[in-house]
Amino acid sequence: MTIRTAQNTVKNAGRSLAAIGAAVCWLAASPAFADGEVIAAFTKNQVDPHFEGVRAGVEQVAKKMGATVRQYVPTKPNNITEGMSQLEDVGVTKPNLVLFMPIDPKAQLPTIKRLIEAGTPVVNYNDKAGDAPYLAFVGEDDYKLGYDIAKTLFDHLGGKGNVVILEGIKGSNTGDERKRGFDAALKEYPNIKLLASQPANFQRLLGLQVMENLIQQFSTIDGVIAAADASALGAAEALKSAGRGNVAVVSINGVPEAVEAVKNGGLLAIAEFNGFKIGCVATEIGLKAIRGETVPKQVVIPGAIITKANHAEWLVPYQRRTCPTAASYVAKW
Amino acid sequence: MTTMVNPALPSRSAQQLAPGTLAILVRLGLIAAIAVMLAVVSPGFVAADNLLNILRQASLLFLVASGLTLVIIGGGLDLSVGANLTLCACLSAAAIKSTGQPVAGVVVALGCGALVGLTNGVLINRLKIPAFLATFGMLWVAQGIAYWFMAGQVVYGFPPAFRFFGGGFWLGIPVPIWVMSMVGACGLVFMSRTTMGREVYLMGANEAAAVLSGIPVGRRRVLLYVVSGLMAGLAALIYVARLNAAEPGIGEPLLLPAIAAVLVGGTSLFGGSGGVFGTLLGAIILTLIVNALNLLNVSATWHPFVTGAIVLVAMLADAAVNRGARK
Repeated sequence: MTIRTAQNTVKNAGRSLAAIGAAVCWLAASPAFADGEVIAAFTKNQVDPHFEGVRAGVEQVAKKMGATVRQYVPTKPNNITEGMSQLEDVGVTKPNLVLFMPIDPKAQLPTIKRLIEAGTPVVNYNDKAGDAPYLAFVGEDDYKLGYDIAKTLFDHLGGKGNVVILEGIKGSNTGDERKRGFDAALKEYPNIKLLASQPANFQRLLGLQVMENLIQQFSTIDGVIAAADASALGAAEALKSAGRGNVAVVSINGVPEAVEAVKNGGLLAIAEFNGFKIGCVATEIGLKAIRGETVPKQVVIPGAIITKANHAEWLVPYQRRTCPTAASYVAKW
Repeated sequence: MTTMVNPALPSRSAQQLAPGTLAILVRLGLIAAIAVMLAVVSPGFVAADNLLNILRQASLLFLVASGLTLVIIGGGLDLSVGANLTLCACLSAAAIKSTGQPVAGVVVALGCGALVGLTNGVLINRLKIPAFLATFGMLWVAQGIAYWFMAGQVVYGFPPAFRFFGGGFWLGIPVPIWVMSMVGACGLVFMSRTTMGREVYLMGANEAAAVLSGIPVGRRRVLLYVVSGLMAGLAALIYVARLNAAEPGIGEPLLLPAIAAVLVGGTSLFGGSGGVFGTLLGAIILTLIVNALNLLNVSATWHPFVTGAIVLVAMLADAAVNRGARK
């Protein structure tokens, strides 16, 4: 682990230098794609390992198919203003392909529409970005992930008990859809009592502090549903230090740290929202489309439920995983 | 050097120099009012567990805000505290991971914090960059280094000896609360009982007068930024130990609440008045509001609005009391 961190740091330094070098070469080469196509890949922040997974998937397929990637990430996590100006920059630099995930779908839709009208092909990935002529959508069904993981918890509790929900960011598509899934599952279990549902903004510290306050408020909590790993890990930490480590916590994502917690019993289960696979498939579909192939309009990658029994697959670091092909999720094109 | 009465200062300076007892009373009153109301409405509030819970959450905010208080009293501003905390958290977490020694984490966190503070001080003092811009630049530099260093990863899982700083108890009281008390006491003694502390008030109230009185303003200023950085480093330690993880998004949401804790605590943004004890109360007030809203089952949608409203009411009460005192 220690060495891996150091290696990563060295590797990253190498990667940064390589990226700078690539950028310099790219600027020097006057036709923009002397060496394969240029892909502009958007992610929402540099904080959540989920997006590191997305970026790793994009890089792997791009390298294999001979394209270069420019990553666009806001410096302030999920900052819509920065996300907007990066999108406008892309309108000027005109890459051959844009992989786009919205920070705020309503606010960004007009800009993305203009981009497509101006002739830049766009694949929408990770979460839905409203209605525009995208080449394709590649992602997962957040509603279903929320529904499945809530049911997993309720079945584990034998269909009765007190639960709390740690929502995502209010008004974000991902958070709202997952919450809708939680609520749908709740309706099917009349003996499960929802004590409280509060936003933890997909964050660790907020997950910890909201949970600390809920522990004070309710003497009996049997289960916690979190909209993302980070807030689940924060909540599990709060429960453990309050001597309530036996409370079952479930979440959505499946970043390595959370999978390790599943292995050690800190979390009960996670609905997989696999950024790495999404990045891989979106890049493959996008490149094939701009190279003239017909591609499916929508690829929904199914999310497994990660438990103690099957967790090993998700502990492999992103850099060492192998991309699945788009064909493995689509019967025929 | 003894404290001297400086003729260059306006006559109300005597009042400004010490943290106003009235202001402290207003804040204690506010805390008492919220507490009494809660105790009536929600039986869970007065439970010892809940009170410790509030203080533990407030301690994290207070540590970040404590060093900032000194900087602001001295007439400066430090916008880099949140990013500094992030950087120190990431570096110290990596240090513990690679050595297995909690001590390494402590040294790295405090060293990193002090170094960032020293850089701020030098930028402001030697290169004459305005405090707002220097520390704003430092915010991005520190955040940028943290992003590069972590590369989208999270470092997690620390030895129990280190976790004790954030989650442990001593004599039944959480360790972060002890740390908060000690830092608070040191800050209080430094600012109100030492010559150097008085000099800081004078610097903030009237820099020209401070220079004329022979106070080494430049050196004092660098010292204040180093202290602010050190406190950010100390807070980083407590955070990492409490969360059992370090990630590059950890400190960013703390800057505004930290500034708010300082100002709600009665320290003037223009420098020259206020105090560390006030900031401690400010941090408690901000934490208490959220805890209260949770216990009262108020939907989280309303939390920002109510927090803002109560802060404004506190400021209005402050102004009214001050007017009354002057009559």
